[in-house]
Amino acid sequence: MIDFARVQKELQECSRDVEASGIKVAPKSDNLGRLTGTIPGPVGTPYEGGTFQIDITLPDGYPFEPPKMQFATKVWHPNISSQSGAICLDILKDQWSPALTLKTALLSVQALLSTPEPGDPQDAVVAQQYLRDYQTFVGTARYWTETFAKTSSLGVEEKVQKLVEMGFPEALARSALESVGGDENLALEKLCSG
Amino acid sequence: MASGSINVSIPSIPRDFGKKKRANRSAKLKQCKLDARREQWLSQGAVKNKGCKEELMGPRVSPQQIHEEERKNALENLQMRRRGVGVGVGEDGNGNGNENGSIHHDFDLDSPLNSPTGSSVLGGNESGTNFSASSSSSTTSGSSVGGSITEEDGEENDNCLDDWEAMADALAANDDDNKLENHFDENNPCLELQSSLEYEPTVQLDCNLPNLGFQNENLTQERKVPPRVTPGNSRAWRPDDALRPQSLPNLPKQRSFKNIDRHYGQGVLPWGCASGVNVPTSCPICTEDLDLTDTSFLPCSCGFQVCLFCHKKMLELDGRCPNCRELYKNDPVKVETSVRRGSLTLRLARSCSMRS
Repeated sequence: MIDFARVQKELQECSRDVEASGIKVAPKSDNLGRLTGTIPGPVGTPYEGGTFQIDITLPDGYPFEPPKMQFATKVWHPNISSQSGAICLDILKDQWSPALTLKTALLSVQALLSTPEPGDPQDAVVAQQYLRDYQTFVGTARYWTETFAKTSSLGVEEKVQKLVEMGFPEALARSALESVGGDENLALEKLCSG
Repeated sequence: MASGSINVSIPSIPRDFGKKKRANRSAKLKQCKLDARREQWLSQGAVKNKGCKEELMGPRVSPQQIHEEERKNALENLQMRRRGVGVGVGEDGNGNGNENGSIHHDFDLDSPLNSPTGSSVLGGNESGTNFSASSSSSTTSGSSVGGSITEEDGEENDNCLDDWEAMADALAANDDDNKLENHFDENNPCLELQSSLEYEPTVQLDCNLPNLGFQNENLTQERKVPPRVTPGNSRAWRPDDALRPQSLPNLPKQRSFKNIDRHYGQGVLPWGCASGVNVPTSCPICTEDLDLTDTSFLPCSCGFQVCLFCHKKMLELDGRCPNCRELYKNDPVKVETSVRRGSLTLRLARSCSMRS
C-alpha cells in the first residue's frame, strides 16, 4: 500500500520551492500512484534549455521501494534509453533509501544529465558515441533537446495546420498527431513513414 | 480612582493589549493575583536586597533619590533610567489606586528595604499623591502604564505575556539607541515591558519613588551582569532564573519557539537538528507524528530517527539506516527506550550500548 500521506507531503514540499529547484511533480490521476515529474535541463550541458518529462509510477511499497521513473521526453544520453526512456541510476534501483524523496530522486536524475556515466550505459549506442566521438554526441544530444525537449507553444490546431501546409491531408495529420500524443515531429515521422 | 487610572492608561498601550485588558478587567480575581504577585516579588527582592544593601545601596541611592524628589513635578526630559524607575513606581502607584488594602503593606515592605536614609517613606507617599494627580489630570502617565501592565502580568493570559516578551525582545534587538535602560532590564519584567512603550509619545513619568528601580538596579549589580554587552538576550525572564517571580506563567514563549524549531527539524536533514531541543516531531519516512517512545528511540548512531513501525519495516527489508546506509545494530531498542529525556542523555545511552 502506498503511503499516500507521505506522497501528499512530498508534493506539497515540492510545489513550495518549485521556483528555486525548477522541479515539478504532478499527479497524473487522482490516485497518486502515477505522477509526472518535470526537470529542466542542466545549464552548461547539451540539455540546457530543454524541459524533460519523467513518468513516475509508485510501487505499493513506496517509500520502502524505489519509485519507477522513465523519461517521457526523448533524451540522447548514455545512461538513458533513447528508445524507452529507461533510466540507469543506482538510487532508483538497489541504492534507494526511504529517506529519499521524489524530489531528491528527480534531482539525482537531473545531476545524471550533467554527468553521464558511459562506463555503465543504459544505451550502448549513445555510450559508444560519447566515448569515441564526443563532439557528435554533444551535437546529437543538443539536437534531440531542441527537437523533443523544447516546449512547443503551438496548439493542436496550429500543428495540424503546419502539417497540412506540408502537404498532408488534414484528417490524416490530425489522426497522426493524436496517435503520437500531440508531438508534431513524431507525427511528421509517422506520416512520412506511413 | 483605580478604574480611572486604568482607563487613562489604555490609550498609551498598544491596541490589542488594551482590548484584552478591557475584557478581563471586570474579574476581581486578578487583583488578588496582582497583590500576591507583588508581595512575592517584593519579598524576593527583600531577600536579595538585605544581603547587598550596605555595600551597594549607599553611594548611589541617596543622590539620585534627592534628584528625583527635586524634579518630581517635571514631566519632561526624563531619561531612560528614570523611566525605568517610574515604571517600577507605577506598580506602587497602582497599588495605591486599587485600594485593596495592600498599600500599607507594600510600603512597609519597600521602605526599610530600599531607603537607608528613611526618607523614602515620605517619597512613597508623595509618589502616591503624584500619581493620583497625574491620572486625574488625564495625562497618560508612565505610572499608570506600568501599573496596568503589571496587572496583565499578574493575570492568567499566557498569550498576552508571550506577546509582550516577544515584542520587547524584538524592539530591543533593533534598538541601539536605548542602551541606557539596560541597567534595568535584567530582573524586572516591568522594565522589559517598558522598552516596548518607549516610542509612545505620551509616556511620561511623574512618579518619582525610586524604590523599585533601585532595588532592581541593585539586583543587577549583584549578579554582575554587564548590562551593555547583551542587549538582546537579557530582556526576558529565563525559566531557570532564580529571581523570576513564581507567579509568572511558565513556558509560554519557550513553547512557541520550540515549535518553530521542530518545524525546521522535520526537513530533509533531520539529523542536522538532532542535538539539543530540536528533535524531529514526525517520522521522516512515513510523516506520522513521533510519540514519546519514538522520539526517545535512536536506532542508528548517525542520529537519524524513525518511528518504530518504519524501523521494523526496514529491518525486514535490508536492515540499513535510510540516512547513512549502515546496518542497524542488533536490538538497540531496549537501551534507548529506557531513556526518556533529552538527546544528550540519549546519546550517552547509545554509546553505552555500543560499548557493552
